[in-house]
Amino acid sequence: MQFRLEKRPEPSRLMLYVTPVAAVLLTMIIGAIIFSLIGYDGIGAVREIFLTPLTNAYKWQDLGVKAAPLIIIGVGLSVAYRANVWNIGAEGQYIIGGLAGTWVALATYGMTGPWILPLMILAGVVGGMLYAAIPALLRTRLNVNEILTSLMLTYASVQLIYYLIRAPWKDPMGMGFPQTRLFSEAARLPTIIPGTIVHLGVPIAILVALVAWFIMTRSVFGYQMRAVGAAPHAARYGGFSENKTIWLAMLVSGALAGLAGVLEVAGPFQRMVPGFPTNYGFTAIIVAFLGRLNPLGVILAGIVMAITFVGGEVAQTTIGLPNAATGIFQAMVLFFLLAGDILVRYRLKRVVNQPAAGAA
Amino acid sequence: MDIYIAIIVTLVGAATPILIAALGELVVEKSGVLNLGVEGMMLVGAIAGFAGQFYTGNPYFALLCGAFAGAASSLIFGFLTLSLSANQTATGLALTIFGTGFSALAGAPFSARPVQLMRPLFPAELATHPVWRVVFGYSFPVYFSFFMVVAIWWFLHRTRSGLTLRAVGENDVSAHSIGYSVQGVRYAAVLFGGAMAGIAGACFPLLLTPQWAERMTAGRGWIAVALVVFASWKPFRLLAGAYLFGLVMTMELYAKAGGGPLSAIPSELWAALPYLATIIVLVLISIRRDATSNAPACLGKPFLPSN
Repeated sequence: MQFRLEKRPEPSRLMLYVTPVAAVLLTMIIGAIIFSLIGYDGIGAVREIFLTPLTNAYKWQDLGVKAAPLIIIGVGLSVAYRANVWNIGAEGQYIIGGLAGTWVALATYGMTGPWILPLMILAGVVGGMLYAAIPALLRTRLNVNEILTSLMLTYASVQLIYYLIRAPWKDPMGMGFPQTRLFSEAARLPTIIPGTIVHLGVPIAILVALVAWFIMTRSVFGYQMRAVGAAPHAARYGGFSENKTIWLAMLVSGALAGLAGVLEVAGPFQRMVPGFPTNYGFTAIIVAFLGRLNPLGVILAGIVMAITFVGGEVAQTTIGLPNAATGIFQAMVLFFLLAGDILVRYRLKRVVNQPAAGAA
Repeated sequence: MDIYIAIIVTLVGAATPILIAALGELVVEKSGVLNLGVEGMMLVGAIAGFAGQFYTGNPYFALLCGAFAGAASSLIFGFLTLSLSANQTATGLALTIFGTGFSALAGAPFSARPVQLMRPLFPAELATHPVWRVVFGYSFPVYFSFFMVVAIWWFLHRTRSGLTLRAVGENDVSAHSIGYSVQGVRYAAVLFGGAMAGIAGACFPLLLTPQWAERMTAGRGWIAVALVVFASWKPFRLLAGAYLFGLVMTMELYAKAGGGPLSAIPSELWAALPYLATIIVLVLISIRRDATSNAPACLGKPFLPSN
């Protein structure tokens, strides 16, 4: 018995939604097997990583806080990827957003007023946008690959953090630690549920996703992004400029990564520290794909990835699973998702009584 | 005099892993496949090489471990992109995320446990004079990288198999119709690229820092990918490019040690310099001419023979 792949006349909508769920389930099954084989409690690892964060109500606030930046960045990346613009440097744009917000917080240190936080957020958004403008400019003017430039800028931005918190922005009372001073009250993101760590960034993330969904499905802008990504030549005939689309895609994804950065620094961190590069920008790539480049899907995918982050920490303390295991599970989700994608475009067909023509 | 010798030796050490990884990626891209997982495969190779050296103390076996681990991880990429025609860009990124996590997990037990650096290939008597040190003072991977530059050039441009590989990368449909196995050639290229990335990764604990550190390749895999574009898919230009980057990375060390105006520059700027230099180089190359004019025509495009 032999199977052959046969191209579907059009992509299967069913498979489009089934494969992300299947990818997560397969990751749990295969992950349990692999981690057992290399000497860990595999089933325990999967239980702690994927289930404990859901069953333990105390962990829900962590989920919200972790999911918020992933959703915000993931929404931006899905807009870009829809248009076939490969912004891989969201981590760098997130960092620059955080640094821009820090700059405002330090400049207004000791001041009070309801204008400080909005100004920080504005700075973060603009910062992320400007950092994404560099690859956009190089791509549209000189045809330089945006994957490489946005990624190189990420490595450079990490060094910028180290420099700023070691020298000009160093906390004078920090006893030599390379970090900025704690932001004053007006520069901190308020919590929205008293007694928890759930901050204003969580509803902002949901709002961002809903607005993006509305724009992508209901506006000319969204149509343009999808058209250029799906059929660049046809889109050009339709009057959509490819360069303009690249600019829009990069600026939107950079702005949202910057927003996530400033919300993180004003929320959970409340100061700039060397540990600020949290890998959210890279994990958000998985979030965008798992969410099927659809802002509503990104909300769910962001929560799934947040579960693995929170669960990874749980597994670290309860069964001694190294933190790096989280990254492996996240990569496996993406591997299985990409592998499953073939079922969206092709169907498996059984070959009966056919000489090995298909095998060549 | 001695300082120049020392600079050259450091430069060669910094350039070698980038050159080896980039040579592998060049062959992969010539076959029409864009594997962005070089950084991940290098990290897998680095931890495999470290473990090999740690347990056996035989650096050649360690390099082999790196090659094998790199090739094995490239097989994941090959299966997804070639057999299942998954998106190459996304799969390469997934491989890098996987390699980062895998190497961190596998490397956790080895932290703060040093290994022996690889010794020079030639006997010390040959390299007593400083000038001879520049020629004979390196360990095996350095000479291997030079050999591979020539070997890959020769393979691509002077052999029938090399012609087939380039044909597959330039026009997969035609190559398939005249009976070449597009998938077979691409699998072979991907595996070769993975082995080279793995060797390049193993060079980090064997040549540079004899310890395990998470993410110790520090983006060098991405610089290797960029170098292939910079070299417009030509092996000898890759050699020049890798040494240019070796020089940039070496400047950091000597600027700090040497005093003078260079040492006033913040160390973080030096650390950022290789990445900024990559951008500058990509910009310069595209100002001079259309950077992608020499790219294999089928680069990054999926191909399924059943279509």
